[in-house]
Amino acid sequence: MPWLLILGAIIVVIALVIVYYINQIQVLSNQIENSWAQIEVQLQRRAELIPNLVNVVKGYAKHEKEVFENVTKARTAMMQATGRADKIRASDQLSTALKSLFAVVENYPELKANQNFLALQEELTNTENKIAYARQFYNDAVLRYNNMITTIPGVWFAGGRQPKEYLEAPKEERAPPKVEF
Amino acid sequence: MKVNIYEFTDKNKRDSYLLILFFFLALIFIAWLIGEIFAPDLSLILVIFAFLYSFFDTLISYFYGDKIVLASVGARKANPQNPKEKMLIDVVEELSLAAGIKMPEVYVMPGSDINAFATGRDPEHSSVCVTEGALYNLNRSELSGVIGHEITHIRNYDVRIMTLIATVIGIIGMLSYMLIRSLAYGGGSKKEEEGEGWLVLFAFLMALITPIVSRIAQAMLSRRREFLADMGSADLTKNPEGLASALEKIKKMNEGKLNVSESVSHLFFTDPNKSPLDELFATHPPIDERIKVLRNL
Repeated sequence: MPWLLILGAIIVVIALVIVYYINQIQVLSNQIENSWAQIEVQLQRRAELIPNLVNVVKGYAKHEKEVFENVTKARTAMMQATGRADKIRASDQLSTALKSLFAVVENYPELKANQNFLALQEELTNTENKIAYARQFYNDAVLRYNNMITTIPGVWFAGGRQPKEYLEAPKEERAPPKVEF
Repeated sequence: MKVNIYEFTDKNKRDSYLLILFFFLALIFIAWLIGEIFAPDLSLILVIFAFLYSFFDTLISYFYGDKIVLASVGARKANPQNPKEKMLIDVVEELSLAAGIKMPEVYVMPGSDINAFATGRDPEHSSVCVTEGALYNLNRSELSGVIGHEITHIRNYDVRIMTLIATVIGIIGMLSYMLIRSLAYGGGSKKEEEGEGWLVLFAFLMALITPIVSRIAQAMLSRRREFLADMGSADLTKNPEGLASALEKIKKMNEGKLNVSESVSHLFFTDPNKSPLDELFATHPPIDERIKVLRNL
């Protein structure tokens, strides 16, 4: 009788461990998907903000055609991009284009005092930073996930899942850019 | 000397655990002394009483502590219509995303000094509060540094740890007080007759010393957690200079006249009641030291 009890206890413990690992793998995978969803929301929000920004800036700085064109082009490219890596690459280009737009704004003091512009600037800074932070979190989550499914004991429960890819950091800086336009 | 953020964090974590261990040892020690001096059945009742009292005390501060603190400093919810407060809300949102925690509620409190605090029992129920002084004197990256510090407190469950420690200190204080009182009124006479007067004297001294040592350890623990939060902020924002520059401004501008009570001062970003008093009891590391560490990362 005691043998049966001990055997039963061992089986229960093993079952719990299996459940834990299977769940944990799923939780980590959900974290990755969740942070990607966050990134997409922000990419979308940024795309929506840009036409407004361009309009406001145009009102003061008509002659900076090239800058506007770059931003608009980068925005279109980003919206057409498919796949995570492509989207992120296009998003980085858009960030660069926006940076030069905001650099141009420095020459127009009246524009810098425009309430509408300031609100848009804050909104865009917010989306840029959220993209950067969500990306940081995404990569951390991928690291945890990959560690889990490639090391013992997680690998026993991974069911042949493949490691996920990181979102590349922008080339010029390994740390995500903290934007302050 | 360059400081490695992760080594520094690990060291602070280790120290924190050691200090927490100390509190429980101190508690057991005092309870043991009581058991030695008095009849065990009596001491058991005393200990149970102390535990019950502190338990309910903790329960209240656990569930309503955040609301009580926010109300006591006169905090109000941040208003997204105000551009400065909108920026604050955005920064909190960004950094909670970076830390992977639920976004805390955002509050603003009156006061021209630059300061901030976080409260709440866990990341699911947390709030961040900054002073108007912080809102109007810090730029975006400095504010991010300060908020990163507060978000790290939340993520590290610091409010819970410090509440727990305050409770244990409360129990230690109460037991020591009871011990001293009963010794003073001849409660230990039974042992004295048995020729164990030294034990009574020892207990008396310990009952005096333990609460003081506990306070010092509490302050040390608090300083460790502050350093950990600074490191966490630097790690989240990847920009230690933002926080360093905020501290620089605080050093220059704060007049130490924020109107908050002593009992919540340990929650704040920098000590709101500038007391040049004993460094031993300070809940925060010196600002210069914090700046130096951040600039050396």
